[in-house]
Amino acid sequence: MARYGMALDYKNCINCKACEVACKEENGVTLGADKHRIWVGVKEIEGEYPFLSISSSTFMPSQCQHCDDAPCQMVCPTNATYFDENRVVRVNTDQCILCSYCMVACPYDARFVDDRTMTVDKCNFCSDTRLAQGKTTTACQNTCPTKVRTFGDLDDPESEISELLRTRDHFSLKAHLGTNPKLFYLT
Amino acid sequence: MIAKAKEFITSIPVNKVGMKDLLDFERTPRNMLVAVITVGLLALFVVGLAFFFMHGHHAYNVTKEHPWGLLLAVYIFFVVSSTGLCIIGSLGDVFGFKDYMLISKRAIFGSIVTILAGFAVIAVEIGHPVTMLIYNVLTPGLTSAIWWMGTLYGAYLAFMIVEFIFLLKGDMKKAKIFGLTGLLVGLAAHSNLGSVFGFLNARPIANGVFYPTYFILTAFITGVFIAFIIMGFRYKLEFPEKVKTMLTGLAKMQALLLSILIFFITWKMFTDIYGGMPDRSEVAIHILGSWTFQAEVILAMIIPLVIILKDMGRSPVLMFWASLSGMVGIFFMRYNLVHDSQLKPLQMMKTTEYQLAPSWVHYIPSATEIMISLGGLGLCIAMYYAGTKFFNLDEDH
Repeated sequence: MARYGMALDYKNCINCKACEVACKEENGVTLGADKHRIWVGVKEIEGEYPFLSISSSTFMPSQCQHCDDAPCQMVCPTNATYFDENRVVRVNTDQCILCSYCMVACPYDARFVDDRTMTVDKCNFCSDTRLAQGKTTTACQNTCPTKVRTFGDLDDPESEISELLRTRDHFSLKAHLGTNPKLFYLT
Repeated sequence: MIAKAKEFITSIPVNKVGMKDLLDFERTPRNMLVAVITVGLLALFVVGLAFFFMHGHHAYNVTKEHPWGLLLAVYIFFVVSSTGLCIIGSLGDVFGFKDYMLISKRAIFGSIVTILAGFAVIAVEIGHPVTMLIYNVLTPGLTSAIWWMGTLYGAYLAFMIVEFIFLLKGDMKKAKIFGLTGLLVGLAAHSNLGSVFGFLNARPIANGVFYPTYFILTAFITGVFIAFIIMGFRYKLEFPEKVKTMLTGLAKMQALLLSILIFFITWKMFTDIYGGMPDRSEVAIHILGSWTFQAEVILAMIIPLVIILKDMGRSPVLMFWASLSGMVGIFFMRYNLVHDSQLKPLQMMKTTEYQLAPSWVHYIPSATEIMISLGGLGLCIAMYYAGTKFFNLDEDH
């Protein structure tokens, strides 16, 4: 039993998209730009030449935020979306009725329809693949060339992620919504 | 016990109607036009279903950013109509307003028909309707507004059917008990439908108390519009004095309800825009400029209100036409509710190369969605017509 989370040193991201590819390969996510469990958001440079604001350009890796108070889990009429023993937000495809309420309710746009099962899919921290094999890293973390991602147990004070969150300033996306995400962006 | 149930069912007054009787109606140009339209709508439903069974959800234009489309709007349109008719039907047999007794049976039957049409449409909108029936019971999501809405609407339908049976039997005491219970369950279901949107913290334009209350108000308004339409067809726009008295009363009520609605909408828009709150004010401004919102305001609010105020609702024929305009406006109201809640992308960054940064989420219903939606209307008219043949929907004397 753990409480898994992820810290992202997002300023190190070079938008190589290796994480997106690794995620699709590891978890068998279907091809297509709209079918992704994780993605890198690109904020383009603002201003007009020669007054370009280089600092405005950022790469923001994102995915399901595995909220502790997950709106997608609350709105699910059949409890198909649930917290597993590691507080990872997951989808039981047998119970999913594809009402799409979770897709509308998720503030992070982190869900999509898997055309094979016609159910909603999302990041599950590689629970079905790497974690099930006893590994302690996710595919996106493992492949990242600039070590943007740190995955680990938030309840373990000696884990790398706990140490990072103790020593580095960080923020969460849309924190004002009270969803308590378990993805932390290091500044 | 079984014998008693059998006796109860056989004692329900139902006309013996064969296929020949069903197809037998006065061949006036108006009736022929309605018949052709209904058959056309049913044919569209069949074609739409065929496309759906061939291509599944790919036949719909819903996307990751806009997962709820026209079919959900049409479902809401039908269940709002049902709740509205339930309210109208209850005025007479539950609350005892004598003038409204003459529409009770017709309105309650209409509420059953409209919710069945709604269920027919939502059955092909939900990805796995059978799974829904199973896991709604086995693993109920009690924190989900959709669970409460669906479950309460199921119970509501049962109460409406029982109320209708007692109305047919002329047992007004039991009709009142089931009618009141059905009305309360229906109102609970309907405000839960509003909360499906109201609970969306991620969507500031929808989030809040507005929709759960506004849904009840607009249901009442929809019920009055449909009351004019069904009475217009029943009496071929030549209303007896008793019916005129009732319709004038309904029109006056409608003037008040529409005024309240306009007041509500005005203040919602002001509060949405005021202060420039991110993700809310720009969405509200965008909505104000959309033709569908303008159609909603003109067709469902301004035209009917002006016609009522012209002579304080004493022209039921004019109100019949205004109600048709009103129902088209109510359709836009439901479409806008669904579409506008999803207008603003939740993720504002580019995620692929050669892509512009997201602005507004666009959605145009597919031909399949349009055919199934129109088919829902066809189902509704066909079931109502069959009901007029099988049951005596007029007031018993």
